[in-house]
Amino acid sequence: MEKSSKTPKFSNAALEGGKQRESLSEKDSMKAKRRQSQYPPFGMAPVEEEHYSDSMKTKQFASRASRALKIRYANTYQLEPRNKFRDCLVRGKAQAILTNQLGEAKYDGLSSPSLCASISEEILRAVKELDFDRYKYVVSVLIVEKAGQAMKVASRWVWDAQKDNWVSAKCETETFIALALIMACYYE
Amino acid sequence: MDDFQSAEETTFVVDEVSAIIKEAIESAIGGNAYQHSKVNQWTTSVVEQTLNQLTKLGKPFKYIVTCVIMQKNGAGLHTASSCFWDNSSDGTCTVRWENKTMYCIVSAFGLAI
Repeated sequence: MEKSSKTPKFSNAALEGGKQRESLSEKDSMKAKRRQSQYPPFGMAPVEEEHYSDSMKTKQFASRASRALKIRYANTYQLEPRNKFRDCLVRGKAQAILTNQLGEAKYDGLSSPSLCASISEEILRAVKELDFDRYKYVVSVLIVEKAGQAMKVASRWVWDAQKDNWVSAKCETETFIALALIMACYYE
Repeated sequence: MDDFQSAEETTFVVDEVSAIIKEAIESAIGGNAYQHSKVNQWTTSVVEQTLNQLTKLGKPFKYIVTCVIMQKNGAGLHTASSCFWDNSSDGTCTVRWENKTMYCIVSAFGLAI
């Protein structure tokens, strides 16, 4: 009688143990799911990590508004840009824009500042349209009147020589010289 | 607090950079008159000195420094720049300096890494 009563207990215990094990594995899978949701797949929206308790949130909100909130992105594991900066394309476009806008223009002290600004904006737009991956651009345009003076333009930079590059384009007319410098810096 | 400190270190501080550029120009060109033979050397030294001092700041930035030295002749010079970057962390500083015989314009761009 005792023996017969023992065996069901054992089997019950075994069942219970099994149930416990099941519940543990459920918890693990839940954790895994939670982890997955925190790291969204490749190239998706950024994830904000909040470490502040509710009581602090209102204070932090005000201070956060004044400074930029650093958003942490998920790893994409890409070390190189997919679409790399090609200087030949950019040079061609910049040269075309300069000759189009300035080929027949005469230097004019009043209109040159706005012309200069519009050319630099147009070059920036054209370079953005080329859609190179993960690049920041700096476009600088100089318009110098020809008056027999000498001028020297020099540039130096501290950047990643393998990924960053620069392009220059020049347009010369009888009354002025226009020089455009386009610098592209890789940014992850 | 941690975020605030890192924000201080990773924003382009215009005043600091402007002071560095002025110092570099003064030491390289200072009280000299325009000399065609020396312009090459001057532009190089202004730019290199500026870049050296900027890198010594130790901030996580890529720098681009451009220097234009032009003889004073009554001619006009216009320069414009447009940039595609992150406004909160990147910045630019341009310093115009002149003496009796020449103009010197130095632009420094800082792009956060």
